[in-house]
Amino acid sequence: MKDVRPEMQVDIGGLIIKNPVMTASGTFGYGEEYAPYVDIERLGAIIAKGISLGPRAGNKPPRIMETPCGMLNAIGLENPGVNAFIKEKLPFLSQFDVPVIANVFAETIDDFKKVTELLSKARGVAGLEINISCPNVKKGGIIFGSDPDMAHTVTKEVKCQTDLPVIIKLTPNVTDICLIAKSVEEGGADAISLINTLTGISVDIERRIPHLANVTGGLSGPAIKPVALRMVWQVAKRVKVPVIGIGGIVSASDAIEFLIVGARAIQVGTASFFNPSATVDIIDGIEGYLKRHKMADVNDLIGTFDEEGKRCSD
Amino acid sequence: MNGTVVKNNEICAGHFFLSIKLPASFKTPMPGQFVMTRERGRIDPLLGRPFSVYHFERSEDGATVAILYKVVGKGTLLLSRLGEGDFLEVMGPYGRAFDIYPEVGRIVFICGGIGVAPITYLASHCRGQSGTRNVDLTCYYGASKAENLVGIEKIKEICSDVFVSTDDGSAGYEGPVTKKFAEDVSSYEPGTTKIYACGPRPMFEQLSDLVAGTPLSCQILIEERMACGLGACLGCTVLLRDNEGQVTHARACMEGPVFNIRDIHLG
Repeated sequence: MKDVRPEMQVDIGGLIIKNPVMTASGTFGYGEEYAPYVDIERLGAIIAKGISLGPRAGNKPPRIMETPCGMLNAIGLENPGVNAFIKEKLPFLSQFDVPVIANVFAETIDDFKKVTELLSKARGVAGLEINISCPNVKKGGIIFGSDPDMAHTVTKEVKCQTDLPVIIKLTPNVTDICLIAKSVEEGGADAISLINTLTGISVDIERRIPHLANVTGGLSGPAIKPVALRMVWQVAKRVKVPVIGIGGIVSASDAIEFLIVGARAIQVGTASFFNPSATVDIIDGIEGYLKRHKMADVNDLIGTFDEEGKRCSD
Repeated sequence: MNGTVVKNNEICAGHFFLSIKLPASFKTPMPGQFVMTRERGRIDPLLGRPFSVYHFERSEDGATVAILYKVVGKGTLLLSRLGEGDFLEVMGPYGRAFDIYPEVGRIVFICGGIGVAPITYLASHCRGQSGTRNVDLTCYYGASKAENLVGIEKIKEICSDVFVSTDDGSAGYEGPVTKKFAEDVSSYEPGTTKIYACGPRPMFEQLSDLVAGTPLSCQILIEERMACGLGACLGCTVLLRDNEGQVTHARACMEGPVFNIRDIHLG
């Protein structure tokens, strides 16, 4: 067979990206720090660090703590605010031939709408990823993404403000993630990404205090992969919109696990911290896998999980 | 970049010297900069570990970077088990370097514990920069006990005056390193003296009190837990204090690890 490169393009809900590998919000900054290490134009898409309406200073240090095969982070959503993002950060990212998806969070429905409106008018934004892992301060701080009705409302209200593709990013810290997924699909989500971090803590036993100033933090890294895979697998069976898999992907084989259980695309997060070129290594690895398995198109791999285990190896 | 371990020697209990061979394309670190090391493919520990550069040299076939480290946890314990020929990934050099003043007449170094590592690289650089010009290099070096005064011989080669302190009095002056410095601080002429320090936080707090209210310039190199080391994750935040007393954030890996002592919020 001639050495033909497999087709890697995927459709993530109205946005076609050149390959299924995207950067996870909060792990790639706004691109500038990674430019010396990664050929940015090879990426499927960049999801920028989360933006809020106004600037946020973030949490007091210590903000991070390594845990077995992972890490906890309590950065506190530090960001310069939407106006500074549009003026100062977007221009750098816009110079590359890569779709830039703005990740958005807010503490009220109104703020979600305002940020969405501003970003939809900005040049250089190809889509929005809505982080619903934040508390609704108007409802006593209940996490938007933990309540199907609130999740539905955020989705609907954001969709009304924009023509851009809208991805809703789910929190795994819920009893039934499929309920939330179904709810945001009904609200009009163009795609669903999951999972965000799992809430955890780490204890300094000598001083008997938390390792994080915030006490709790979000767990990420290889430790969460089995949970993320299970949730992606469950959600992909329940919804029709594209599902984007996130959680502990550090190698191409990790990414392929997610594609097999139904993810249309994946995001690489924590891996970029210790291997700045992880995203590109993973793109190469997926291509290599497709060639080895004589698959001409990555879409031939997506959702081919044989749950009953009847398939013999190729 | 892929590196190969040249030497990984225990100098005294739990304190190691590690030198790593790197490709020639590795950029020359400036004093105060650091590298991130990790074993390729390992997911536990997950993150690279930051170490200040202790020594760097180029040869015909590449470059060698050296660090001094103390075994304090999982990452450094595994590092201590590497042997000659083992592979180690090295990323960097990262961070803001010390400001160098080639014309200054007196430079004072203050180091506590493993803080001697970046201070030695800096001192060596300052000695090299001075050429034929007469510059006084003075070093105050403190450790918990005599055996832990790693790299003392090297410091004595570079600096004309070295004052050693140990917490238990087993060598030099008894007490914290800043105690001896406190006796001498008034003899240092602010206009012609630069001070550089690296050590544990309590040392910085004492030093901050000593130079407050004087015009003495003092740069410190601080240590923070890091994930990426290159400015993206915002995990290594340190608190700074501006002239109006407002607290702001900075990244130890980008805006630091070198800071002016008066900018750091030590409260």
